Amino acid sequence: MSVLSISVRPSRITGWVLSWFLFAAGISLYFYTAQRRHKENPDDRVVPTLAQLGAGIYQAAMNPDADEEPAADAASQSALDRFRNGMLWKDTVASARRFIYGLALLFPAVLLGLHMGLFPYFGTFFLRFILFFDKIIALSVLPILFIAFGIDELSKVMLIVIGVTPTIILDTFNLTRSVPPEQIVKGFTLGARDFDVAYRVVLKQIWPRVLNSIRLNLKPLMLFLFAGEMIASTDGLAYRIALLRRHMGMNIIIPYVLWVALLLFLVDLTMRLLNKRLHPWFREA
Amino acid sequence: MRLRSALLFSLLVTLPLGAQKPAFTVGWSVYVGWNPYYYMAKSGIMKKWADKYGITIKVQRFDYAPSLEAFVAKNIEACAMTNMEALDMPAAAGIDTTAIIVGDYSNGNDAVLTRNGVTFKNLPGKKLLLVEKTVSQYLFERGMAMNGMESQIKRVQLVNTSDSDIAAAFIADTSHEAVVTWKPLVSQILKTPGVTNIFNSSQIPGEILDLTVVRTDVLNRPDGSGQKFAKALAGAWYETMQLMSAKGSGTDKVLAAIAEGSQDSLQSYKEQLSTTHMLFTPQAALQLVTSPEMKQKMTLVKTFCFNHGLLGEGTKSMDEVAIRYPDGAVEGKPDRIRLRFEKAYMQAAGEGKL
Repeated sequence: MSVLSISVRPSRITGWVLSWFLFAAGISLYFYTAQRRHKENPDDRVVPTLAQLGAGIYQAAMNPDADEEPAADAASQSALDRFRNGMLWKDTVASARRFIYGLALLFPAVLLGLHMGLFPYFGTFFLRFILFFDKIIALSVLPILFIAFGIDELSKVMLIVIGVTPTIILDTFNLTRSVPPEQIVKGFTLGARDFDVAYRVVLKQIWPRVLNSIRLNLKPLMLFLFAGEMIASTDGLAYRIALLRRHMGMNIIIPYVLWVALLLFLVDLTMRLLNKRLHPWFREA
Repeated sequence: MRLRSALLFSLLVTLPLGAQKPAFTVGWSVYVGWNPYYYMAKSGIMKKWADKYGITIKVQRFDYAPSLEAFVAKNIEACAMTNMEALDMPAAAGIDTTAIIVGDYSNGNDAVLTRNGVTFKNLPGKKLLLVEKTVSQYLFERGMAMNGMESQIKRVQLVNTSDSDIAAAFIADTSHEAVVTWKPLVSQILKTPGVTNIFNSSQIPGEILDLTVVRTDVLNRPDGSGQKFAKALAGAWYETMQLMSAKGSGTDKVLAAIAEGSQDSLQSYKEQLSTTHMLFTPQAALQLVTSPEMKQKMTLVKTFCFNHGLLGEGTKSMDEVAIRYPDGAVEGKPDRIRLRFEKAYMQAAGEGKL
C-alpha cells in the first residue's frame, strides 16, 4: 500500500489530482445543493446558484452601496471609476486601513519583547503583567474598551492590538531567550555595547522567526478586525457581511468571504517571499 | 450471517421512525412579547396542546437573527418575528409565510434616544447608532418623516451596531449623541443622566407588530399535521395569554416565570409590558388584523423594505412581493403572495373551538 508508506511519493499527475480533489468535491457539493434547493424553491437565497453569484459579484464590485446618494454622473463613468466607487472596493479600503494600522502596531511589540528578553530590568517590569494580560479575552471587556477608546476607528485598532500584541511580545521574548548566551558574551568580548548586542546580534538572527510569527498571527488579527467591524461600524468588509446577513444576501456574502480569503492568502504569500528574500539562510518559513 | 445482521439493523432503524409523531419546532428570541413561549414550554402548556393534536412541538430559543435564518433555511417550521421581518426575510428568500397569531404591537418599546438635547432637526450630519435594516431604522425614518425631515434622512450617518453591545457603546462613548434601540436596552440607556426619549413606537401604534409565523407549505401538508400544529400553537398561546392577563394573585407568579425566560425580574418585565400593547384575547387580535388601517400600515412597512432593497435583489416593483389579508384582498401580484395574514386560528381560539 503506497498510500500508507512514508517513502513513496505520488507521481506529478496523481499529486495534482489529489491536491485539487477536495476543492472539486466541495464545489460540486455546493452546486448540487444549490440546484436541488432551487428546484424546490426558485427564489432560494440561502445557497445561490452560479448566475446569482455572478450577479452578486457584479453588483458588489460595480455598484455603490444602495443607501448612498448616487453620483450625478453615474451613467457616464468608466468601468474603472465605477469599480472604485463600488462597495467592494470601498469596503476593502476601509478594512485594509485598519488592518495596516493593526499590523504596524505589532512592530513596537517586537521591540518590547526583545528588550524584555535581554534587559533584566525591562523583563522584571513587564513580564508578569503581560503574561496576565495575554490571558484576557479582549472581546469580553468591550464596554471598557468603549469607555477608553470610543467606538470609532481607535477602538477597532485597539481591539486588534490588545488581542494580538501580547502573543507577539511573548513570542519575541522567548525567541530572544533562546539565543545562546555564548553569542552575547562573545559580542561583549569583541567590544560591542549593549545596544549593538541587542540589535545587531540578537534581533538580526531572530528577525526571520519573528516575521514568521507575525505571519502566523495574521488570522487572529483578521478575526479581531472582523469582530470590531461587526460590533459597530459604518464601512468595511465585515460590516457588509453583517448587514447582508440580515436579509440573506448570500450571493454577495460568499464572494466577500472568498475575496477576504484571497487577500489574506496574498498578504501571507508576500510575507513569506519577503522573508525568503531578506533571509536566504533561513529555512523554516 | 451478514444478511441477518443487515435485517436486524434495518429493523432497528425503522421501528422508532414508524412510531414517531409528526414533530415541529417553533423558534423564539428574547423579547417581551415572545417570552411567553418560554413559559409555555416550561409549564407544560405547549405539551398539553401538542398531545391533544397528536403531535410533538419543540420550543427553541435563538438569537433573533439566527432564528430568522433558521426559519428561512427551513430548519424550523414556525418562528416569532416582527411584521417587517416576516415580510422581508422570507419574501427575499421566496418562502411563502403565514402569520397565524398577532401577539402584540410595540407601544413604546422601540425608541430614538439622544443626549445633549439633540432633536430630529439637528440630527443630520451626526452619527446614529442602530442595528441597520431593522425596525430600528424604520422607526428612525418614520420619526424623521413625521418631523418634516424626510429629505434629510440620508444625511444622518448610520453606524451599524450589534444589539448585544449597543447599550454599552452608547453609554460609554459620550461623543455619540443618538441611538435607536428597543427594550430592555432602552430602559438601561435612559438611566444615564442627560439622555432623553425623543420618539418612540407609541407614536406609530400598530406599525411594529409581533407575530408568530408558520411556513405556508407546512400548513398545507396533505396529512393535515401542519394545521394541527397551528391549532396547537394558537391554543397554547391564548391559554398563556389568559393566565398573563387574569386579575388575581396568581398572575404575578406567571409573569415572574415568563420574565425568567430573559433573566429579567418581575418588575422589569412589567415595565416592558407597560409599553407593549399585548393583544391578550383573540378578539383583540382579530380586530386589529381585519381593520382597514392594517393595510395602510403594512404598505408603509413594505415601502420601507422595498426602498432599502430588503425584498430581495431583482425585485423591480413593490407588487412583486404580495401580501394577502384576512378578507382575501391581495396587495400586489396574486401569483407572488409571500406573506398571508390568516385569521382562522385566532378565530377558532376566540370561539373556543380549538
